[in-house]
Amino acid sequence: MRISAGRAVAVLWATVLLTGLGAHDAGALPLYARQTGQECAACHNGFPELTPYGRLFKLNGYTFPGAVPGANGTAYVPPLSAMVLASFNHTQTSNQTPLPYFSANDNPAIDQVSLFTGGKILDNLGAFVQGTYDGVGHQLHWDNMDVRYATSYQIAGTEMVSGISVNNNPTMSDVWNTTPAWRYPYVFSRFTSGSPPVATLVDGALAQRVVGMTAYSMWHRLLFIDAGAYDTFSKTLDKALGVAAPPNADTLQGLTPYWRLALLHDWGRNSVELGTFGLAASMYPGGDHSNGTNRYSDRGVDAQYQFLSDEHSLSFQGTYIDESQHRSADFASGSSSNLSDHLRSLNLKATYGYDQTYYATVDYFRDDGSADASLYPGSASGSPNGRGWTFELDYMPFNHGGPSFWPWANAKIGLQYTTYEKLFGSGKNYDGAGANADGQNTLYLFLWLAF
Amino acid sequence: MMFSAKVTWTMVQTAAYRVVTLAGSMLLAACTSTPADDAGNGPIAGTVHLCSSCHGLDGRSVSPTFPRLAGQQQDYLEAQLHNFRDKTRADPHAHTYMWGMAAHLSDETIAGVARYYAALPPATGGGGDPTLVAEGKAIFRDGVEARGIPACQGCHGENAEGQGPIPRLAGQHFDYLKEQLAAFASNQRANETMHENSLPMTGHDIEAVATFLAGQ
Repeated sequence: MRISAGRAVAVLWATVLLTGLGAHDAGALPLYARQTGQECAACHNGFPELTPYGRLFKLNGYTFPGAVPGANGTAYVPPLSAMVLASFNHTQTSNQTPLPYFSANDNPAIDQVSLFTGGKILDNLGAFVQGTYDGVGHQLHWDNMDVRYATSYQIAGTEMVSGISVNNNPTMSDVWNTTPAWRYPYVFSRFTSGSPPVATLVDGALAQRVVGMTAYSMWHRLLFIDAGAYDTFSKTLDKALGVAAPPNADTLQGLTPYWRLALLHDWGRNSVELGTFGLAASMYPGGDHSNGTNRYSDRGVDAQYQFLSDEHSLSFQGTYIDESQHRSADFASGSSSNLSDHLRSLNLKATYGYDQTYYATVDYFRDDGSADASLYPGSASGSPNGRGWTFELDYMPFNHGGPSFWPWANAKIGLQYTTYEKLFGSGKNYDGAGANADGQNTLYLFLWLAF
Repeated sequence: MMFSAKVTWTMVQTAAYRVVTLAGSMLLAACTSTPADDAGNGPIAGTVHLCSSCHGLDGRSVSPTFPRLAGQQQDYLEAQLHNFRDKTRADPHAHTYMWGMAAHLSDETIAGVARYYAALPPATGGGGDPTLVAEGKAIFRDGVEARGIPACQGCHGENAEGQGPIPRLAGQHFDYLKEQLAAFASNQRANETMHENSLPMTGHDIEAVATFLAGQ
């Protein structure tokens, strides 16, 4: 079932208009801060990591009220907010084929400018809708979208919060910072070619190229279930939404089911989560139907721990994804050397925050997979394996309220350094032509502003 | 797990449809069932659900940033909500969380929410360093005349249960009690009486009293 361009665009515009019409109740998005009247730190630990309260805000459909627009001398602001990300990028080895309009190295850039709308539309209906101008790819495109209906009720005296999310990115409906849509690194340099070189399907490949619906429930703030399915658009709609994939991009066959199960528990200032998630997709390589499909089955395990106090915060996230690839189509066409491959990724991250203003992060990333010479022609050994570290320091001066002329503003000034120990199976000469993994080491200095 | 047979793949897709349908049915069923909290008063059920996102289920908050409300004095709760709404209570967490929360509350909702939480059975504490508990108990019961610290029980009641506009302290979070005493002393939280009472208290006095009260 292909979603027709006309119908989907109509739904999208209806969403945007409805959100605007519902704005009378809206008086790390300033949009949500203005709706609730609360500071960013109430929902976010740093940004965009969510606190337990922030998770409940999202699960309850982005509808929690608070501020009265126009009250106490504050001006009414429509339910919009904006975000600008600007950066300076330096890679250890200059890029031999620079991106269009950019130099081989030491590039300043406006990474992206985004506009958001959403928040409470009706009592039980809320949204997170983002549109982005990509300043590196020079393209306007729709970005994360999550429109959800949520309700809460009692079962045998215990609380149940349930909802439905219509969204365009598998794992976008999740509320922990472990699954790919909301996992660290939240921002990163676009000028590195090997970061990491190979990723599982659930790790962003379908973002904004699909639309799906998931239904979720959280019971007694202990058990969370989320499940649904995704489908792709027609090529015409892809183009209209600015996410037109290259002509040789893979297309989905049929529906792609997604599932997620998590156990959670809060005690004192601690919160912990342990979960699993996955999806199963059938894809035509390059959109070509002549050899059938490749099938991907992703299973992930994730865990998160947070300790949150005013002065000190600690946050750990870990994600392990195991992907089985049954490459019938690729094998038949000669694009892969193996009929079956597997790919596994591991991400471990730790952040310390002081005064909800200064943050330090260490992240370890790694992927290991089957060697397949035809699938990875850029690898001299045919191996996709890679690993490295990212270090980041952040300064967020406005977590407790922005400047007096715009109290809902927030900013993150960050310095991020990524180092590669191994790319495509090797630290040295991974491509057979002398490229070393550390040549991709990247320094990323960024300024992230939200209004 | 490999999908080597077409039949198996179709089963996966069918399963996906079934899960979504089932979850959707649960959702529709939910729409007709009882509201989120047994708030007794329909109009405040939604507000209580919102409060519970920080103050916990049944008014027993998990994080000490958010005070336990179960069994708190009704007049005290009403006064605090009014103070949050007109921003006369200005300690840092009041600003971060409660100014926004209270801004949209009507007088009727405030009265209803206060009545709801006051009727809940209070949380009881337990534990704490026995030496500190004994010291805190002595300060609570008798004060420290030499340093001008009055006996807390004079206003807060023999069992720290509070009365009228004076809050219950028994069973409250240790960290929350500490923060409030510091806020009173510094006038971040404006209250003339509590400012006078807390000013002569040392850090150790506050630790002791808070340990004792959290354990009640």
